[in-house]
Amino acid sequence: MEVDKDKIYSIGEFVGALNVELKGIKAKIIGEVGEAKAGPTGHMYFTLKDENGGAMLNCIIWKFKYSLFGIKLEPGMKIVAYGNCEVYAPSGRLSFLCDTIELAGEGELKKQYDELKKKLEKEGLFNAENKRPVPAYAQKIGVITAKQGAVIHDFLNNIGQFGFKIKFIDSRVEGAGAVEDLLAAIKTFIKKDIDVLVIIRGGGSMESLMPFNNELLVREVVGFPVPVVVGIGHDKDVPLVCLAADKSESTPTAVANLLGESWEQARFILAKATGLIKNAGILIKNKYQNKYNILRERIFSNFKNILAGINSELNHIDKLVIINNPERQLKMGYSIARAGGKIVRKVGDVRPEQNLELRVNDGEIKTKVIWTQKI
Amino acid sequence: MDSKNLSANLKKLFEIADWFDKQDEIDVEEGLEKVKEASELIKASKDRLKKIENEFEEIKKEIEHE
Repeated sequence: MEVDKDKIYSIGEFVGALNVELKGIKAKIIGEVGEAKAGPTGHMYFTLKDENGGAMLNCIIWKFKYSLFGIKLEPGMKIVAYGNCEVYAPSGRLSFLCDTIELAGEGELKKQYDELKKKLEKEGLFNAENKRPVPAYAQKIGVITAKQGAVIHDFLNNIGQFGFKIKFIDSRVEGAGAVEDLLAAIKTFIKKDIDVLVIIRGGGSMESLMPFNNELLVREVVGFPVPVVVGIGHDKDVPLVCLAADKSESTPTAVANLLGESWEQARFILAKATGLIKNAGILIKNKYQNKYNILRERIFSNFKNILAGINSELNHIDKLVIINNPERQLKMGYSIARAGGKIVRKVGDVRPEQNLELRVNDGEIKTKVIWTQKI
Repeated sequence: MDSKNLSANLKKLFEIADWFDKQDEIDVEEGLEKVKEASELIKASKDRLKKIENEFEEIKKEIEHE
């Protein structure tokens, strides 16, 4: 905003312009909570001051945001707030409007972690009997993590080539703002058709992992319609989301291996079964080869005998025809005599002076019986 | 005469052989006709038999090489 030095502004005009400028000055501030009280509409009004007491700021966090971060503001608590200042025109009061709040200092973090863990444990949210098994042969996988960094690559490089259909939602996984992203991503995945939900990130300090100790997030994970597998690297204190998930692995790579495991096993079983079937085929072939050979020889030999039999019959008939061939007899010098149209076989078949017809090889001879004499 | 029908040819040849066996008086002309017919049938049958034998050997070789 450029201030027109010649113009005279109304208070409202000036505060409005000032607030526009202030909105652009986002900052992260650390301080100790002084007074803290909820307004009638649920918004939280509190003060933040330096530990040495030198400076103080009035702060506001709206009801929706306040419920998101799971921190109950109490006097003496040390927090980091992110946001910008604003002047409330009716009162002229300057306040810091918090976009996010997070606990500062290991002590505070540990205290809040322990309290929440105890509370959720009591509710049974971490009970082993409520855990759902990770589905075997899961194919449609929802993945929530940051697209920046090695985590997503580690996961994809290790999950194997089994035709997975992976849906990915980019989310911040560190800092107070991560809670909002993670919750939104989970809500999106509720409507998606997936077999399993995966939430992964690399290791970090308790402070950086605080989004995964968020109560709302824990409840979303427990109530998620399909099994949730998390792979969040951690040190001593296990993030509460890990305790709430159906299965928790130490790294994103381990999650990838877990999801590929059933497929790997199936591949192994398939290879083994293929081998068994091949061997069985060889065994069956060997078993029946002998029988097959015997049958084949029987068929061949029978048919060969049939052919040999036919050949022998043909030769026999051939000889018979040759023997019976009248031409052959005539050629050899024999003749056929007929008298009165009948074949002459004995002396008594003719009488002297009777006509006689002789059939010889090349024609007929007509003659007469001169005399007859029995031999 | 069907040169491919070995069974029918054999049947005819048996009939001719029977005819010769039954003749008391050989009719030279008819006998000659029968001889001619039988010779043709024998030749055709032997050719057909040779072909069948060759086909059989081919099939046998194929099966044995499987």
